[in-house]
Amino acid sequence: MLIVSFQLVQPSTPEEAIRLLSRSAAGDIAVLGGGTDLLSDIEQARITPKQVLSLRNLPWRYFRWEGNSLVVGSTLPLRALELDPHVQRRLPGLWEAIRDVGSPALRSRATLGGNLGRCSPASDLIPILLALDARARIVGPSGVREHPIDIVLQESRRTSLGPAELIESVILPSSAPSAYLWQRVQPVNDISQVGVAAAFVPEGPHWRIALGGLQPRARRLSEAEAMLRSARPTHLEMELAAQEAARRAEFVSDKRATESYRRRLVTVLVRRAIQTTLDRMPKAAHPRKAAS
Amino acid sequence: MIRSDAEPKARGALEYGTDLEAPGMLWAALVRSPIAHGRIVRMDLSPARKMPGVVAVVGPEDLRTLLPKAALEAERPVFPLDEIRYRGEPVAAVAAETLEQARRAAATIEPEVESLRVDARIEDIFPEWPSPAAAKDPRVVGHVHARFGDVDAKFRSAELVHSETYRTSGVHQVAIEPHACLAEVRNGTFHIRSSTQTPFGLRDDVASILGIPESRLVVEGTWVGGGFGGKGAAFLEPYAVLLAIASGRPVKLSLTFEEEFELGRTTLPSIIRLDTAVHRGRIVARRVRLLLDTGASLPGRDFAVGYSIGFLLGPYRTTAYEIEGFALQTNKPPFGPHRAPFAPQSVFALESHIDGLARRLGVDPIEFRKLHAWREGDRTAYDQPVGPIGLEAGLEAAARTAGEWRAGLPSGHGIGVAAGFWSTGVGAGGEARLWLRPDGLTILEGEREIGNGSVVQGLALVAERVLGLPVEAIRVEYGDTATAPFDSGVFGSRTLGALGQAVEKAARSLANTLATRAGAQTVQLEMKNDRVLVVAGRRRQKLVDLLTPEERAAGGIEAHGKHYGSERKIDASRVVTGTVYPYQDFTAAVHLAEVEVDRETGHVRVVRYAAFQDVGKAVDSASVTGQVEGGVVMGLGTALSEEMLWTPEARLANPGLLDYRLPRIRDVPPIHVEAIEGFAGAGPFGAKGLGEPPIIPVPAAVANAVADATGTRVYELPMTPERVARALKLL
Repeated sequence: MLIVSFQLVQPSTPEEAIRLLSRSAAGDIAVLGGGTDLLSDIEQARITPKQVLSLRNLPWRYFRWEGNSLVVGSTLPLRALELDPHVQRRLPGLWEAIRDVGSPALRSRATLGGNLGRCSPASDLIPILLALDARARIVGPSGVREHPIDIVLQESRRTSLGPAELIESVILPSSAPSAYLWQRVQPVNDISQVGVAAAFVPEGPHWRIALGGLQPRARRLSEAEAMLRSARPTHLEMELAAQEAARRAEFVSDKRATESYRRRLVTVLVRRAIQTTLDRMPKAAHPRKAAS
Repeated sequence: MIRSDAEPKARGALEYGTDLEAPGMLWAALVRSPIAHGRIVRMDLSPARKMPGVVAVVGPEDLRTLLPKAALEAERPVFPLDEIRYRGEPVAAVAAETLEQARRAAATIEPEVESLRVDARIEDIFPEWPSPAAAKDPRVVGHVHARFGDVDAKFRSAELVHSETYRTSGVHQVAIEPHACLAEVRNGTFHIRSSTQTPFGLRDDVASILGIPESRLVVEGTWVGGGFGGKGAAFLEPYAVLLAIASGRPVKLSLTFEEEFELGRTTLPSIIRLDTAVHRGRIVARRVRLLLDTGASLPGRDFAVGYSIGFLLGPYRTTAYEIEGFALQTNKPPFGPHRAPFAPQSVFALESHIDGLARRLGVDPIEFRKLHAWREGDRTAYDQPVGPIGLEAGLEAAARTAGEWRAGLPSGHGIGVAAGFWSTGVGAGGEARLWLRPDGLTILEGEREIGNGSVVQGLALVAERVLGLPVEAIRVEYGDTATAPFDSGVFGSRTLGALGQAVEKAARSLANTLATRAGAQTVQLEMKNDRVLVVAGRRRQKLVDLLTPEERAAGGIEAHGKHYGSERKIDASRVVTGTVYPYQDFTAAVHLAEVEVDRETGHVRVVRYAAFQDVGKAVDSASVTGQVEGGVVMGLGTALSEEMLWTPEARLANPGLLDYRLPRIRDVPPIHVEAIEGFAGAGPFGAKGLGEPPIIPVPAAVANAVADATGTRVYELPMTPERVARALKLL
């Protein structure tokens, strides 16, 4: 480990941030959100930036409800969402995933934007964001664009963002019964061996199943979703969805778990995540059968 | 009562090893081997010498010019002169004006190396269980073999033989303060300040490595931010001294956390085979076999295996037995002690085995243990008499609590019990000087507080009990090895039991002197208006009035206390090969764990925990609770999550706290602590050492609870969810 020096720049407007990014060669500048991953990247000399651009002074530390949608500024510390009772009630799966990231100290720094930008295969947030059809609002030299995060995310440390683009906010279009379950050796400050998100969204096809802990990154499993043909899937359907998820997921063996154990976990956690989501559906609002 | 070091520690006012500074100080960095086993063909130090801020660079060649000839012949030379024996082994060192400059310069040295075959695991050396002839293999650095009675005949005629193999993993001490020291040369004497558990032992160790006389070395201990066995022997100090000689300036060396893991002297993996013969419901003969990975330890080191193997026989009455252990050299860093060295691992195997055997016999596991448990007057496997021990009392207390827990136990939960014994290091010597002044008492001794309170709190309370002087009027002061009375240091749970006896003797001698002068049988001291009063019967007088003119001139009265243990005999005829280690000051711990096991994922959650600890006599009940809770939490790590992961090339894959998983507060269940008194130990007032015993039964108690919950036994530590899932045949 080396001690490193860099210049810290702290723009206070998005325009200034974009201008600074446009002027720098890739690799010379690193973007600082919460810094929870950046710090170890620099420490382990994975990157050697000359400049670190902090997003801290940008006006993006907010969240607000727009009708049924939740809009989260990309630099808002996760802790703010965790402590909000409306987030917990309206987006229980998202709240669960946030609550179980790292430790309280880490969540007071870590941000949604940083988590997406880092695009770790082990992210606990990406699976639930995928399941909830999250969209990212991106700003850059050529203006603003908005895409489903599924299009923005590529693989570990890679997104479709241009070198001078930044994620401004994340939009969760609707409140939905949802759940996020994980398996770790330890509950706190550990990396999930597998993460499973399930959600039942108003817009069809209703069921969403997403997995984390697999290469190259978390993804939706439409094959497993297809096994769930109603709002009240049978036990057999849940089991089939779980089996299908385990079959389709591209797991690898590493120091945290073997590939076969991850597969085993998926069969258990997918079933439990669907069941938990079902348990969270408002009883009266249960549609007897989803439109197919 | 609040410990005297609590407030300054909370304020950050005390100096730990990592805080050390000196005027003109340089920072050091180590150059570490890029391979696990091999030779240095060529190493050019000149690129580092040209780096900015660099003042000194030393490598193997410099030992010749900077140190006496003896340093080259030392058993452990400062740098490897021939073979590199583990990845990351320091091969050169750099001192520079700043830490950054030192590390940058160290990174420019790239030794040209020739690789040799790497032994990463026990299984690489012995794919099959070794025969006694295997002891000739040069990688066997220790071989211990002992037997008693007609083992073969008893096994042949037994009604039942229970045979199992267990495996354990390497665990790190993870003191929150990394190793750190500062060395300087003053008028031809080498001064070392270091975060160490054993200042005197460190002095002797450094002297032998550097080939210089002990009289030219002075070691001063700092406050220690956790030791757990990892801060005993010389580690960084020889490099710092060498750089101080080369640069002529004070040199500070401290490790990063990654280096702590990669260089750490830790507990290493083992394979344990246990065979037990049972006849008419009782154990009649036992075979115990141990393969212990001792990393890059040197030949002739059978201490690790000789000490460990006794714990595999457990606190149970001797039957015919045969024990054999091999210490195996691999290309990992050398084996080192970790709180109750290797006992939690031994006891995991033994107590899992005993528990499974009881279940197989259809007998209550606690009753089965009681049937064989040591009582005072029994003889150990090496024919030593067992002293007072609270084992049966602990088992009975545990049985009562287990009964309460059993009623209303939710499905999916299980309860496990495990017993352990420990032999505290009261044989290691120490001395203390007491200095009673008109305004209070000072205890001068040569051991530093490493966090558990046995020095700042324990020694002061011993003096308080004897003299009656309130602990607030008692100060513990530390000297360096030139000014303090000798003490062996903090290890083997010995501080209260051994150094405490020296303090007790000094205090009694002080009380006797004052009683004689006061013309009374006994005296007690008390404080009034910040003055020491001597109370003899109804008479109270000021201390000054009882002092001689010389003492008044000197400002107080002094007393000296010594404690040196006596030799302990074992029946040597039982030892075939190697050295086994006698026990002393027997203590016991019985633990109870309730767990919930996720039958689909293998995840184990400890729901609640109870520890029944033989303490002899509790000198400070808050410290008892603190030590037991700390031991249990640390043991839960060994049980469930802590594991050093080495690749087949002997590279540590998890050198940090992200993937080396310490227990977090959310993993810690409610812990019920019960002190068992009345079985007196060697320490003051019958106290027994308490630093190590509370970690010993933890992995076994959890394993037995998992077996109770699932009907399935886990044969390997740590019991991670994946290992439990495999045991449950989920994959």
